[in-house]
Amino acid sequence: MADDALEAFATEVGARGPVAVEGARTRWSTGGELEPGARLLRAPEGIVEHRPEEMTVRVRAGTPVDELHCELAAFGQRTALPRRGGTVGGALAVGEDDVCALGRGRVRDALLQVRYVSAEGAVVTGGGPTVKNVTGYDLCRLFVGSLGTLGLIGEVILRTNPVPPVSRWLRADGTDPFAALDVLFRPSAVLFDGRATWVHLEGHAADVEAERRTLSAVPTAGGGWTECEDGPVLPPHRWSFRPSELRQLDGAVLGAYVASVGVGTVFASHSPPPRPQAPALRALAERVKHAFDPGGRLNPGRHVALLAP
Amino acid sequence: MTTLGLDAGELSRCVQCGLCLSSCPTFRVTGDESQSPRGRIALMRAVERDGAPLSTPVRRAFETCVQCRACETACPSAVPFGHLIARTREVLADEGLSVSPPVRAGYAALGHPSLVRAAGRALAAGQRLRAVPRSVGLPRLPLRQGPLTPSGSDVHLFTGCVMDAFERDVHRDTMRVLAAAGFGAMPTGDRVPCCGALHAHAGLTRPARRLAQRAVSALGDGRPVLVDSAGCGAMMKEYGQLLGSDAARELAARVFDVSEWLAPRMAQLPEVRPLDLRVAVQDPCHLRHVQRVHQATRAVLAPFVRELVELDDDGLCCGAGGAYAFVERSEARAIRARKLASIARAVPDVVASANPGCAMHLASGGVRSVHPMTLVARALEEHATSRSARR
Amino acid sequence: MASRATRRARPQPAAPDPIVAALVGVLGRDRVRDDAAERSLLAHDASVFSGGAAGPVCFPTSTEEVQAVVRTAVAHGRAVVPRGAGTGLAGGAIPLGRPVVVVTTKMNRILDVDLDDRVAWVEPGVVNLDLTTYLRPLGYHFAPDPSSQQACTIGGNVANNSGGPHCLAYGVTGQHVLALDVVLPDGELVRLGGLDAEPPAYDLRGAFIGGEGTLGIATLIAVRITKNPLRVRTLLLAFDTIEDAATTVGSVIAAGIVPAAMEVMDRRITAAVESFVHAGYPLDAGAVLLVEVDGPEEGTAVDAERVVEIGRANGATTVRVAATEEERALLWKGRKTAFGAVAKIAPSYYLQDTVVPRSALPGVLQSVYEIAERHDLMVVNVFHAGDGNLHPLLLFDSREHGAIERVHAAGREIVEVSLAAGGVLSGEHGIGVEKRDYMPLQFSDVDLDHQNRLRRAFDPACRANPGKVLPSGHSCADIQALERVPAGLWG
Repeated sequence: MADDALEAFATEVGARGPVAVEGARTRWSTGGELEPGARLLRAPEGIVEHRPEEMTVRVRAGTPVDELHCELAAFGQRTALPRRGGTVGGALAVGEDDVCALGRGRVRDALLQVRYVSAEGAVVTGGGPTVKNVTGYDLCRLFVGSLGTLGLIGEVILRTNPVPPVSRWLRADGTDPFAALDVLFRPSAVLFDGRATWVHLEGHAADVEAERRTLSAVPTAGGGWTECEDGPVLPPHRWSFRPSELRQLDGAVLGAYVASVGVGTVFASHSPPPRPQAPALRALAERVKHAFDPGGRLNPGRHVALLAP
Repeated sequence: MTTLGLDAGELSRCVQCGLCLSSCPTFRVTGDESQSPRGRIALMRAVERDGAPLSTPVRRAFETCVQCRACETACPSAVPFGHLIARTREVLADEGLSVSPPVRAGYAALGHPSLVRAAGRALAAGQRLRAVPRSVGLPRLPLRQGPLTPSGSDVHLFTGCVMDAFERDVHRDTMRVLAAAGFGAMPTGDRVPCCGALHAHAGLTRPARRLAQRAVSALGDGRPVLVDSAGCGAMMKEYGQLLGSDAARELAARVFDVSEWLAPRMAQLPEVRPLDLRVAVQDPCHLRHVQRVHQATRAVLAPFVRELVELDDDGLCCGAGGAYAFVERSEARAIRARKLASIARAVPDVVASANPGCAMHLASGGVRSVHPMTLVARALEEHATSRSARR
Repeated sequence: MASRATRRARPQPAAPDPIVAALVGVLGRDRVRDDAAERSLLAHDASVFSGGAAGPVCFPTSTEEVQAVVRTAVAHGRAVVPRGAGTGLAGGAIPLGRPVVVVTTKMNRILDVDLDDRVAWVEPGVVNLDLTTYLRPLGYHFAPDPSSQQACTIGGNVANNSGGPHCLAYGVTGQHVLALDVVLPDGELVRLGGLDAEPPAYDLRGAFIGGEGTLGIATLIAVRITKNPLRVRTLLLAFDTIEDAATTVGSVIAAGIVPAAMEVMDRRITAAVESFVHAGYPLDAGAVLLVEVDGPEEGTAVDAERVVEIGRANGATTVRVAATEEERALLWKGRKTAFGAVAKIAPSYYLQDTVVPRSALPGVLQSVYEIAERHDLMVVNVFHAGDGNLHPLLLFDSREHGAIERVHAAGREIVEVSLAAGGVLSGEHGIGVEKRDYMPLQFSDVDLDHQNRLRRAFDPACRANPGKVLPSGHSCADIQALERVPAGLWG
């Protein structure tokens, strides 16, 4: 269980002074700007153990997501982590799902075990190595999206999933993306930028073909559904809506956008405003923060309520 | 200190898994553990093993049981709950803790056909005079009923007490259907005044045994005994346990619900045009959970109606429970409300119920409910009429 | 008064609980129970643990009433224990030290279903299966399907982060809850999570789920609803040995197939359930493996075929495919009522719940049988093999002298063997009172301290379901009000 890399990381973190972890800086300003003066550290790197037959992988937080996926692909597996660059620890701390979350699952459901360094400099383990586990309190979920403000993630065990045999992107103009979501059984993604709709289908060849036929019944402005290499390019900022709210998106507020239909995430060129929190929830969140980081030394300046820069 | 005299092995059979909870009508409407089979068994254990007093809440827990026995079909460990609660109710009745003297007199009257019929006529007259409040929950009773005459001697048709007084037409329909299938039936009439089920439910075991013994003596000719009331059929099938005699077991083995009898003999019924009705089947608990022959109702009805529709409440009790609807009125109504909601979701033209108690209880809740035999008889009759018209 | 009381044959009743009058003021007389026999009923759940003691029992019908009850308890310095249907198997709902028991079964309305957001808003007392039945005409279901789903409540599922056979593919309750209204242990109301993709704040919804009533009481729950599969194929494979069945499970997963469910039952339990459901389970097999694949037509056909191939390669003696929905329903009824059916073998059972890596299943199973034999106990195995979630049932008769002690010892050894194989203490039943003292076997003091920090953030005063989850030595475990320590709960 003891891992030298993790212990060394803990020593580096120590027990005093403001400290922050730097990954690939792909979403560096999420949750607000880091307070100046915080010591910048890097989390340990490397895949510790991939167990394809268990569909789990133990990986250190500083490992690039691309490197992890490259390793898993050799075994026909993948994770729910987003394919937007960055490190494993960064992706978890930001809590961002892949744009194909409907097919790949949510990041918050993928974290089986987290080992982090506490504000006191101790290595703490939450969760467990198995794919199913309800032993004690769920610190894993608490840490996904916590922006490193409760502890600094050092190493995790993630659930992996098989890569489906066939994967297709389809695109159409002037169609109703909600109708597409409705008729399809379980698409990996339905994306909409205000004009065009992209649909990602995955599965066995015959099923993908059947879904494609189903989709052809959804009317388009003309030209029908055409196959394309990839989905749209995603604008940098994330907004969070209820899935039903995507029916009335305002391009003037969002700028250019790509909406993940059925999920509620909208990638937009404008950044979202801070969102208010009910006082009772805010008080509870503050108690949680205080319990884990009484001195406020972990990633000072980041605030979880602020989703994106 | 009261003991219930329950079998220790039967009591210890419950492992408290709770799978019975959702099948129990009283737990469903109260959410209260003391109103559940698991809770009632725990209370029986508390009384029996720990000497807990029969306090009011404990006694009420036992009294409010509808004895639908749905918990028995839900129980993977086959706890004989019906037996446990029957014995418990018997002790309560013996101790004078439940069943007030007027109610006791009412049960006693059931063994006397002329009294029951007189009461039926009095109630029917009272209804015409608006002297019987609708809140009593009775359907509109007939003022006069013609006698039933035997149609042959292949089978007995058990006619019972209240049903014969209130709903003799159902027996008539049953006899028509049996005749169409080639079976002549002898109505049991005053030969067997009552099966004793209502007495047994109330814990009045001695009168129940007396009535059962009378049936065993009267029906000893070895012919099949057909029953068109699910509650009576269930009782008669359990005469073996009740009386413990070979003769009782022999009779019990040739008791059949009328649909159970007809289902394997459907080829003997003529093919007719089905009634243009969407029919929801309401399974009487004693058909589904005790006799466990409720599928036969569907098999018999299906060719005679346009459409059969299932209720979505997984056979939950309607709250009729023999005399329960009259003794525990508020509970019975709360339970019925769930059933009515389920019926409303099924949007049927009519509800088919093979138990007169259920049918009455549902009817007083505003549901059009008929006996399955009535539907079959009507389909046969309409067919005959249209054929003769064509000629 | 006094003279009349002494003339009674019955022992004099204890002095009335001072909080009862206040609770009656909140809920009315009908929905507060203080009768000793009624309270005794709520001292149990579906586990083997006894020795709990309930204080007044409350039946609130709204969030506001739950808040009022909790605030009354706070004012009287009393703890609060929430309870749903009482089908838990780890003693999580067993009241310790006469707390106020808040029963949620009267809060059982399905308030809204929104297909656009794919969400259902339910009260905590809604029965799990009732929601799925309600959703069926709409083509949806609620995915978590614990074996007790016909009786257990969704509030209980949230408290235990319940699983079930189909969580192999669909995930446990935590993956299907979007938002929660929670009455915190001080009576304050918060909404955790939300319907939007990424609600602001820490994922306190995720942290709350599985909190076993120690973090507050959920009074309104928004659950994700799942589209029904296009096609379901259910396979029954019979094997000579349980090890062959377990090896097959590992091989299926290793082949990159994630069925909706993979369940194993050994010979004894198969016989017990078959006599109840008459589903046609083979009685001569050493073990049966129930595999369900669901999804689109082609994918399920391919997967089913490969499962059969893998099964045959690992010694499957017979393979049966459920031909009709009725056949499928019967097979599942057998599986889901298995625990209850064991009374046909012995009057009491102790059900363990550990998870091990799937590849470790055959070895750990072997150990489980050896452990039982060493302690002169009968064990049957029926479990969620697909995710390595073992459920050995130790069968005994609690009236037999020394049986409880042997069961306790064997249970602990099973836990130790599971942990040594790289497993965890609980896969879906939770910690409750059953495993709180095993927690140090899996977690260090520092780990437990951090779990305790989360708990104290929700419940600084240790009022919510004290004595559960965290072992003695951590706060909220050793509350003075506890009349009995959990060791005395056995039996």
